[in-house]
Amino acid sequence: MTTVLELENLTKTYMMGAVPVQALRGVSFGVTEGELVSVLGPSGSGKSTLLNMIGALDRPTSGTLLIKGVDVSKLSDNKLADARKSVGFVFQFFNLIPRLNAEANVELPLAIAGISRKERKARAENALKSVGLADRMSHKSAELSGGERQRVAVARALVTDPSFLLMDEPTGNLDSKTAQEMMDLVVDLNREKQVTVVIVTHDSEVAARTRRTLRMRDGLIVGDEVN
Amino acid sequence: MRARDTVSYSFGAIRLRKLRAGLTTLGIVIGIAAIIALMSFTEGFQVAITSQFQQGFATDTLTVSTQSAFSFLGGGSSDFSLYVNDTALIDGLDSVQTSVAILTKGSSLDKGDWQRTVSITGINYTSYKSIYSSFKAEYGQIPDQPANNSLVIGHSLYDPGDNGTILLDVGNSVVMSYTTRNGTSLIKVNRTMEVVGVLGKIGAFGIGPIDSGVYIPIDTAVDFFATDVVSQIVVKLVNADSSTADAVSSEIKALYGNQVTVTSPTALLSTISSILGLVSLLLGGIAGISLLVAGVGIMNIMIVSLMERTREIGILKALGAKGRTIMAIFLGEAFIVGLIGAIVGIVAGALIASIISIALASGGGFSSAFGGANGGMSGASAFAAIKPVITPSLMFMALSFGIIVSVVFALYPAWRASRLMPVDALRYE
Repeated sequence: MTTVLELENLTKTYMMGAVPVQALRGVSFGVTEGELVSVLGPSGSGKSTLLNMIGALDRPTSGTLLIKGVDVSKLSDNKLADARKSVGFVFQFFNLIPRLNAEANVELPLAIAGISRKERKARAENALKSVGLADRMSHKSAELSGGERQRVAVARALVTDPSFLLMDEPTGNLDSKTAQEMMDLVVDLNREKQVTVVIVTHDSEVAARTRRTLRMRDGLIVGDEVN
Repeated sequence: MRARDTVSYSFGAIRLRKLRAGLTTLGIVIGIAAIIALMSFTEGFQVAITSQFQQGFATDTLTVSTQSAFSFLGGGSSDFSLYVNDTALIDGLDSVQTSVAILTKGSSLDKGDWQRTVSITGINYTSYKSIYSSFKAEYGQIPDQPANNSLVIGHSLYDPGDNGTILLDVGNSVVMSYTTRNGTSLIKVNRTMEVVGVLGKIGAFGIGPIDSGVYIPIDTAVDFFATDVVSQIVVKLVNADSSTADAVSSEIKALYGNQVTVTSPTALLSTISSILGLVSLLLGGIAGISLLVAGVGIMNIMIVSLMERTREIGILKALGAKGRTIMAIFLGEAFIVGLIGAIVGIVAGALIASIISIALASGGGFSSAFGGANGGMSGASAFAAIKPVITPSLMFMALSFGIIVSVVFALYPAWRASRLMPVDALRYE
């Protein structure tokens, strides 16, 4: 099995004014292809910081972070932007562009990558189909329910064929029924299409749906369990 | 991101904030419209003058006078005089085809039912005709062997209002008169003349015959005004080469020991052109300032937009957009605003220029702003002749100026947007 994500003694120190805050204090773990992993921890445990590192949105202070074998910890801004293309980021607040419809939102990462309009359209349609939104493609995000928006966000993350899906509190803004459906979708994607998924959450119910759970506390991984 | 996708993304962002984008564009529209209106007008002015010059005055002539061409601007006049017979001296020079002495004096013209003061010009009809193509009869004729009492009038004495009311026609007799002193007594000098020809309309600008002119044979003028001192001598050269003009010009100056001024219409034209060029530059500069103000407006709006869209920028970056993609999106918006603003501005400017030209034509211009003794420009209907001219190069200049101003002022906001850290941008509320 190929390792898609590997962290080695990763640390991150922020400056809060003049006070240094150590958000990550040496995190090490790996994720192999086809895994469904959750990172579970209370707020302040360093989850969000870890999420930003894995999503290549920020650089670690020390340690190495390999995404698909590439050490992204010391990349330039432009190279880091390229590295983001192999991560399918699903945000807690969906982060769709409101003026674009569902299809255009899903096409956006492909447009950024410079892919032709024709190919974009085909791939966006496929991605939206795979999350069950084939009939909502021309709706803008304001015309979609929370669950539908989240699924558009998943489609947008999947459309680039990323090495893994990185989900930030995927059910955080959904009611329990919709949350259930969302988790069903994620589990399905993982099982049917072998999509590697890393979910960062504080919700133990969400973590319970994954096969492996990493527990975080005070900037450290304190547990690595198979559910 | 492909260029087409960048532009379409930028366009979408503009469409979302129509009013704001419209107002930003309006700034560019006003600036470009001002530039187009002012520049097209000065351009039109230049074209009008140039064409009138070329119609009325061949470039193969020189004007010899005892005063500077711009004496009204402060040049001095001298006591040196030119005489009627000096044409013989000048005709003897190389490269001179012919020359004509021009004797101009003020006089009164009386037809019984009306009287007016005019400027009488004594000339040799035949030579004058050969120099100025505009010295051509529309009615009657300009005789080669004129009778002593023959008189040729300009079009504005024939039909002053240009409305069919004939003031003076071919065959009419008029009395020209002036008063002179003999010691302490006043003597009135009279002479009855007969109109033999009426010139066609000449127009606002030109050197040579003018619409308000009255032309009599030179011998009659010498006799009537009792002088053979002439105001100027016009010289026709064998060709229009500037080298010929320069050579003859220095020969004439040498002949008179530098007591005379020799001007060529081309030199006069280029002087006027350069003055107009300066005026045009000045007006363009003023219009340019309004464009700069518009540019500052764009920068302001872009910075506000940058703050509003910080999160959007964060999303784009999280989806793999590089700094330069973000920059291109912002510059694309400025480009679109500049392009639309410039196009609308060019159309608006052209409209404004036409409206100004129509208003000036109906309201009349400065009367005799450039009035000269003879061969000056009579400006009664000077502005009627001006049509704003929008050349492709003016349009291209305005277009690129509009776009450049927009894009340059958007550089700083775009650069700031491109430098945003995705983590910070996504966290921004």
